Amino acid sequence: MSLQARLQTASSEYQKLQADLSNAVEARQRLDAQLSENELVKKEFAQLAPDNVVYKQIGPVLVKQDQAEAKSNVETRLGFIRSEIKRVETQLQDIQLKSENKKTELGEIQAALQQAAQQSSPAAGTPLPSIGA
Amino acid sequence: MMSQPQQVSVTDLDVSQLAEVRRQLEEELNHLTNSFAQLKRAQATFKACGENAAELKAANTGRTVLVPLTNSLYVPGTLSDPAHVLVDVGTGYFVRKTREQAREHYSAKVEYIRTNLGTLEDTIGKKRENIGYLVDLTQAKLRQSAS
Repeated sequence: MSLQARLQTASSEYQKLQADLSNAVEARQRLDAQLSENELVKKEFAQLAPDNVVYKQIGPVLVKQDQAEAKSNVETRLGFIRSEIKRVETQLQDIQLKSENKKTELGEIQAALQQAAQQSSPAAGTPLPSIGA
Repeated sequence: MMSQPQQVSVTDLDVSQLAEVRRQLEEELNHLTNSFAQLKRAQATFKACGENAAELKAANTGRTVLVPLTNSLYVPGTLSDPAHVLVDVGTGYFVRKTREQAREHYSAKVEYIRTNLGTLEDTIGKKRENIGYLVDLTQAKLRQSAS
């Protein structure tokens, strides 16, 4: 029965890892969209004439903003998004590695289960070494 | 592209696996065609903006317009400065531009989307080809197992 229990915990952990993975992928895609939008804005700001007034939308109002300030704002935002992308990227790799490991662990448990089923009742007497979950 | 390594071994797959690959490809194709339609809509919006900017001629100064407050509520207003417009450049920033600059901005946007649409169209075509190939292959396999 301990094999069954281990299979259950391992598979629920695997499912959790898969959910984490899809969350991280989603976050990565969102960041990509933000990055390209901010890059477009930066490109737009780069070709502004000095007499083009820049406004920033804050809630329902538009507030006049210094061109240089707006430019540096976009620049810091880009830096932030890039560092976020790096962070999510390492997170993604981490989760992928973990879920690979879980997958092999699952396979091992299933193989052990099958063996135990073949040997029927005598297998119940010898407890397997528990792998730290 | 993810489908390249699959394409190599695709002849070794059995019918149900082929169906699975085909389902995946169809999902991707769906996503791509949705994106294509979205881009088309965005392009149409930008085009309309450019045309509207062209309508703000100097001759229309002082003319009355109806300003929409909501979709169904309008208030009358007068056009005091048709030479300048505020352009939404994204991420909450607006830029005051001259009419001519705004038109250039919008036609650049339309052009930018057009190039994207072109690459997207190519990708969609390739995906369709892959799906067609898979359908042929599935049918061939079915015939083979039937005879």
